Amino acid sequence: MLRTSLFLILLLLSSVFCLEDIKEEFKESLSIKSLRDGRVASSFSFKTLLRDAIPRDPQTLAFDDDDSQHYTLFPLTLGQILRQYAITELHLTLNAGKWDYDSWGYPDETGVGVGAELRAWMAGGSISSIDDRWQGVRNALAGLFCASLGSLNEQRTTSPRLSFPPEGALPDWGLPHELRHASHASEHVCTENLTPFLKLLPCKSLSGLAMLLNPHRIFDADWHGIGLHVLWRPEGVEVRLNVQLVSDPLRISGQKKQDWSFHSLFDRRVEKACPVAKFSRVSVDLPSSGLYRVYPEPMEVIEGKAYYDLKNNHEVWDIGTMWPADFEYPLSKLNPTLVPFSVRRNLLGSTQDRGQLSIVVTNNQQDTLQLLYLETMPWIIQFYLHTIRVHSDDVPRDDLISNMSYVLPVPHARPATFESVLTLPGRSSLTFTMDVAKAFLRYTEHPPDAQRGWDLLPAIFTPLTEFPNGSINLGRRVYTPSLLVDLATPDFSMPYNVIIFTCSVVAFIFGSVFNALTRKFIIVRLEPQKQTENSVGKNIDANKSNKPDASESEAH
Amino acid sequence: MDAESRFRDPATLFFQSDHVRRYIIASYWVLIALALPLWWKTTSIERLPLPTSEVYTQAQRKLEIPLEICVDSTFSSQIVSLRDAIRVAASYLDVHINTGQDCSMSSTLLVFPGYAVLPGEKLYIEDRKLYYPSHAENLASTFTSLLATKMDRRAAQYSPRYRLSFTLLNEDGSAGQVITGWDIQQAIARHIYPITSALGILHNFTIESQVQFHAPLAFEPQSFSNEGTFGLTAENLTVFINSAEWVLSSSSSNDPVLHFVLFVPSATRRPLEILSPDGTPSSSSAFLIPQWGGIVILNLPAPPPNTLHLTLPELRSSFSSFSRQLSTLLGLPRLPPSISYSSPSKTALSPWQVDTLLRQRTRENVMRSHDTLRSTVTLVSRIDSMPVDEQVQAQVQGSLKALNELFAYARNNITLNEMLAYSARALTLSSKAFFHPGMLAMLYFPTEHKYAVYTPLFASAMIPLLAAALREIAAWRKERREARDARVAENANVTNYDLKTDAATGAPVAR
Repeated sequence: MLRTSLFLILLLLSSVFCLEDIKEEFKESLSIKSLRDGRVASSFSFKTLLRDAIPRDPQTLAFDDDDSQHYTLFPLTLGQILRQYAITELHLTLNAGKWDYDSWGYPDETGVGVGAELRAWMAGGSISSIDDRWQGVRNALAGLFCASLGSLNEQRTTSPRLSFPPEGALPDWGLPHELRHASHASEHVCTENLTPFLKLLPCKSLSGLAMLLNPHRIFDADWHGIGLHVLWRPEGVEVRLNVQLVSDPLRISGQKKQDWSFHSLFDRRVEKACPVAKFSRVSVDLPSSGLYRVYPEPMEVIEGKAYYDLKNNHEVWDIGTMWPADFEYPLSKLNPTLVPFSVRRNLLGSTQDRGQLSIVVTNNQQDTLQLLYLETMPWIIQFYLHTIRVHSDDVPRDDLISNMSYVLPVPHARPATFESVLTLPGRSSLTFTMDVAKAFLRYTEHPPDAQRGWDLLPAIFTPLTEFPNGSINLGRRVYTPSLLVDLATPDFSMPYNVIIFTCSVVAFIFGSVFNALTRKFIIVRLEPQKQTENSVGKNIDANKSNKPDASESEAH
Repeated sequence: MDAESRFRDPATLFFQSDHVRRYIIASYWVLIALALPLWWKTTSIERLPLPTSEVYTQAQRKLEIPLEICVDSTFSSQIVSLRDAIRVAASYLDVHINTGQDCSMSSTLLVFPGYAVLPGEKLYIEDRKLYYPSHAENLASTFTSLLATKMDRRAAQYSPRYRLSFTLLNEDGSAGQVITGWDIQQAIARHIYPITSALGILHNFTIESQVQFHAPLAFEPQSFSNEGTFGLTAENLTVFINSAEWVLSSSSSNDPVLHFVLFVPSATRRPLEILSPDGTPSSSSAFLIPQWGGIVILNLPAPPPNTLHLTLPELRSSFSSFSRQLSTLLGLPRLPPSISYSSPSKTALSPWQVDTLLRQRTRENVMRSHDTLRSTVTLVSRIDSMPVDEQVQAQVQGSLKALNELFAYARNNITLNEMLAYSARALTLSSKAFFHPGMLAMLYFPTEHKYAVYTPLFASAMIPLLAAALREIAAWRKERREARDARVAENANVTNYDLKTDAATGAPVAR
């Protein structure tokens, strides 16, 4: 009762102080960067800030959800889900393709793992458990985005200890927040996911930068992904929707030119500004060398980036860069490297029951590098931790792996989580190997198209900086490509043949046994040939006298 | 005779004796007979019995809600016509009319809530008392219009919870003018809360609102040559909601949503008017979509500022339309215009309206749960492969129990709220049972499928079994016949010796 009245007073106060719609603000930005291999990376970011809002305290879930939700810019459909399940922080990414860190560098948004990845921070203490709410939010988002997020069930859910720190802040409600993380590598992102995504934007795709989001071009790009991020900062709840794509102008134009423009990349222009955006900013990374022309003339250039504001400049509808010379593909390895380390991850072994997981990490820097290594495996791949071997430049160095934590998989129920810290001396390459066993699945556990194999989740590497006072700073996450594992797969076209064949064999055995048990054996006496007539006559006599005879009755 | 020395005669082995062989065959058949019920039980689906006959009996019953009216002796001449009129208009009311008492004392009324008719200067109601001019003769029709109105067909079906979703739609925010906000909370507090708080005993309401900046129509509105106005014909109104582009639905819960849409036409398409059937612009700018929600078109004045925040005075007319639409959608009966209501507080709803709505909703729920229960039982009896598990059984039973309690207590003094609660529980449980996902499980695995799996095994195993049994029976019958013949022959040998000797003469031997 006290809580309710306090709440009412707060509501009253807040309605008094929040008079104008400065409560919500929307910003959109697009950054375009030409990459070394001639491709162009575009990254859209749409941020809506709900000022002074705080996530819902799960302890209030017990009370009737009577407090009303009133939004102008914030998407209502998303707000309902966040409130109903009391989510503090949420990240959802749907990506397709392999992000090539070595030639593209770090992406603007870190979450580039292939497939669907969902993680949420939730506090406990409500009437429904965290796992129930996790299930609810999965299903709600699956419905909202038309993605098969419902399959991110407990067989895929993990709670890694360190790798996913909250991006924003977590309110202190007296109970600790918990992380739930799940990913599904074989989820494909497509138009049906983009359409509901665009509906969450205040201007949809009808004005502003979102006009450029042409599904034909986005899903034609070499790499594409969409993401939804909800986080809380003391100034309010922020929703960030982002679209990233890496398109190839060389392929689109069919010429040896690296030139790009909105029109060539998206087949669209920004024709109308979004009326409610605080700003619509486009930034273009200027090439570091060579002759080029950026058009139109940038409004300002800061630190090698050209900036445009489409909101307040009504002439700019198309932006592009031109090079007078043809593009030449860099054939040799380029220096300096864009990322401090590069990773290769493989599953070795040709049999369907055993294999070896092998990871090669190369440190491109002079300094020693510490990496947080996270491996989440569905239970179908079982680790043999005692077979872990770490080599640095072919010298066994078991001291380079530390802080191992391992959550055992539970067959048919829980995946394995393996987290550890790898130390890489400068300019060295570290090899990590571990034997694995592949499970033999039940008939019904095979996915559709079972012969294709199972997609294994990407491993995640995060550079780690440890300060002398014990605090840890995590760098940007690096996702490896996913792996494909071939498990022993039955021939699924066979069940009826097998049933019928088995039945025939069983019926045959049954018939034989049954016959053997019930057959009547008799001895047939064969008389010499000359006595045949006599014996026939004798038989007739015997018949006449109704005396049963051996030769007459036959075996049953 | 060498063979005899080397082999034992198989007939001397114990398992080659006829009766052992017959035991073996018989034991197979006994086993099959015993296994059949087990097989039947393990392969059949769980179908718990439903109280079918009880459901049919219950569905036949008619709810009678007691209604106590105390009529002042001034109107004693009109009592018969009053009773008849109410019975005809609302057969579910069980009218009791008291007269000759002092009706101004509410304690004389037995059933809560009771109504009183008192002589008054003019026609007005106060609390549950009707003051009626003593010379007027039309008490019956006044009462019918107050207590026995028909449920509006536009009203949404009863649900314990509703979501009220208010949406401000800018048709095209980038076309010159955009409304970036509205004083929604104040407007709701002013216009919507009086209704929702008065009806809080019937429903729980969740109110939410959003603003959209692009909401294109799915059709081109008709353009008028003069004055540059645009019109919406009746056909246009039926396709006005563009659900492909407008994000109106709330996905996160199963509660029914009542939508209230404030549509602001694009600056280039203003004013947008609703056309009457004769093609002239109608005076109203609001329309209602039955059981779905209401729409108000807001035409802003011509020279607009670029961005605009709608204030409470600007929202007043739209929200009074919304509040009328809301009361229609919730099925709230209107007071007849001739009756004035003097309320103690500022609430616009009289207890007469709320009571009538409670009765109507109770009746609606009872009828709907009757229908649902009957359909469930019929469906289950019609489709043999439909599983019925414990939950469905419990839900059907719970719904029946709630209905039985409602019918049992309707005669006693329970309040209308409690009656509604019983009926709502019956309705919820019955529809849960009807839509139980477990009932669909076996529809996709038909019986034919099962036989297709079992026949290859059982048919081929049964053939030797059947053949052995038939042959053994034939052999047994033959043996019996031969044994009888042998006995007869023996007797004949003894008694008919003379006949046999006659055979030599060629005379037929009779046996």
